[in-house]
Amino acid sequence: MYKELISKSNWLRKSIFNMAMNQKSGHIPSCFSMVEILISLYYGGVAKVFKDNPDNIERDYVFISKGHAAMAQYPILADYGFFPKEELNKFTQPDGILGLYADNRIPGIEGISGSLGHGVGMGAGISLNAKINKKDNKAFVVVGDGECYEGSIWESAMFASHYKLDNLIVIVDVNHLCILGKTEDLLNQGDLGEKWESFGWHVERVNGHSYSSIMKGFDVIGNTAGKPLVLIADTVKGKGISFMEGISMWHNKIPNDEQIKQANKDLEINSIID
Amino acid sequence: MSNNKLMRDAFIDEIYKSALKDKDVVFISADFGAVALDDFRENLPEQFIHAGISEQNMVDVGVGLALTGKKVFLYAMAPFITTRCYEQTKAVVSSMQLPITLIAVGVGLGYDHATLTHFTTEDIAIMRALNGIRILTPVDSDSALHIAKECINNPKFTYVRLERNPQPPLYGDKLPSYLDNGYVSVHPGRDIALVSSGYMTHKALKVREIFLEDGVDLGVIDVFRIKPIDQSSLPKLLSNYKAIVTIEEQMLDGGFGGAILETLADAEVCMPVKRIGISDEFKVVNGDREYLNKLYAIDVNSIVTKVKLLIEKIL
Repeated sequence: MYKELISKSNWLRKSIFNMAMNQKSGHIPSCFSMVEILISLYYGGVAKVFKDNPDNIERDYVFISKGHAAMAQYPILADYGFFPKEELNKFTQPDGILGLYADNRIPGIEGISGSLGHGVGMGAGISLNAKINKKDNKAFVVVGDGECYEGSIWESAMFASHYKLDNLIVIVDVNHLCILGKTEDLLNQGDLGEKWESFGWHVERVNGHSYSSIMKGFDVIGNTAGKPLVLIADTVKGKGISFMEGISMWHNKIPNDEQIKQANKDLEINSIID
Repeated sequence: MSNNKLMRDAFIDEIYKSALKDKDVVFISADFGAVALDDFRENLPEQFIHAGISEQNMVDVGVGLALTGKKVFLYAMAPFITTRCYEQTKAVVSSMQLPITLIAVGVGLGYDHATLTHFTTEDIAIMRALNGIRILTPVDSDSALHIAKECINNPKFTYVRLERNPQPPLYGDKLPSYLDNGYVSVHPGRDIALVSSGYMTHKALKVREIFLEDGVDLGVIDVFRIKPIDQSSLPKLLSNYKAIVTIEEQMLDGGFGGAILETLADAEVCMPVKRIGISDEFKVVNGDREYLNKLYAIDVNSIVTKVKLLIEKIL
């Protein structure tokens, strides 16, 4: 059913890997845990995005709040015609526009990222403005589970539910890892879904690598009784490259030549099944 | 003229007037009020937003609103709209150069009895370090009104430093004529000029009166725009004096005097400068602002003593 999206998964992982390998820079595993989330947003008909027109006022706003993974958006934005594909080869280079972290100089990037904990508040501001102006724009914000350690996330979570921002959709990419290890061992977050729920959000728990599961989560948009929606997406950090999956040390490590060969082999096989 | 008004009321009244005409003007408070805000909240409920006692959230939400076309005013007590959400202001507002105005009430030792957590004695140092910020300090409520107008007519990333308590009227409606330079030569003098901003300009004027009784004619210059600070006519004006004294109710490190020294250095003006402000390891005790000013040796008498010593040295 999701054949086309599944092939996009494969395309995006390869594109991200090539960008990172070209410049020996990037956060591959953090990107790979949210590939299916991004593909659903941009190609699954979830977020309203317009080809060749990043500034269309009818659009929805997609933020990658876990900014170290914002590079995962770049191949998509180029594919939407927001900037020439050649830019992907100039990732992090002085003559290119695409940075290690994203900022709104880049067409299709709505706001700056890199410092954690800002996206939910910024998304709430955008969603609130749409409500005030009686417009249909929505804001989609992808945050990391590690990012949920930031207190500002919870300030904004409380704000969004008070203002009944059912046009704000947060996706928590629960890949279970931050730089130094497993969140569960480092500083246990408990049940994140329960936490968001207690802040007045409608919670959907999904498998972050299954399109059928993610789409079911997004299906409730507009039917949350005025509550903002959060998808708690269970994911695997590094999904798609065997030796990176679930290993925290790969956070921003670049593989050696042997490992690159293995990674390319892994990326030929699409691990996404539905 | 709005002489007896609190600066915050003069400022907010002006924003309210503009908000009545322009639905894109929004005012966000982190649970801080003003008499003038009551009408705003009552009559423009869609343009007043309570952010919770959550300054970080207030800034991020303000950013989302600004990114989608709103003219955003953020409002809180001075310590909390500066240090509490400095990260948000730096990482997001400054980085994207959004037309957001941060309004601080009670700068310096304005919240005297509340002591250390409520003192804002480093806001000049930290805020002026931000890329692309404009910093404005009104000296009286009429100036606050005109600064509000300036923030509406010329929107950009701005930090406005308001006094908690009313200050004596000084400029009437003249502030707009000084906006190009960002400073006012309140009294031209001879040999020595006192350079200050806002609240301390009123102290400088008292110091000047005391010296006038002895026939010493001190200049008084109010630099109400600390950033961007005038780089040409201000250092030129200062260089006409034999020495200058900077006066501030701030930590000296990186503060107002530092900004003046940098301006002189960059203009290659070499002259004696005495900085008067709060030094490291200042004590925290109970007392009103005047008492604290004495304790920290930045009251009128202490300034007079320091200026006398300077005069003995250089004149």
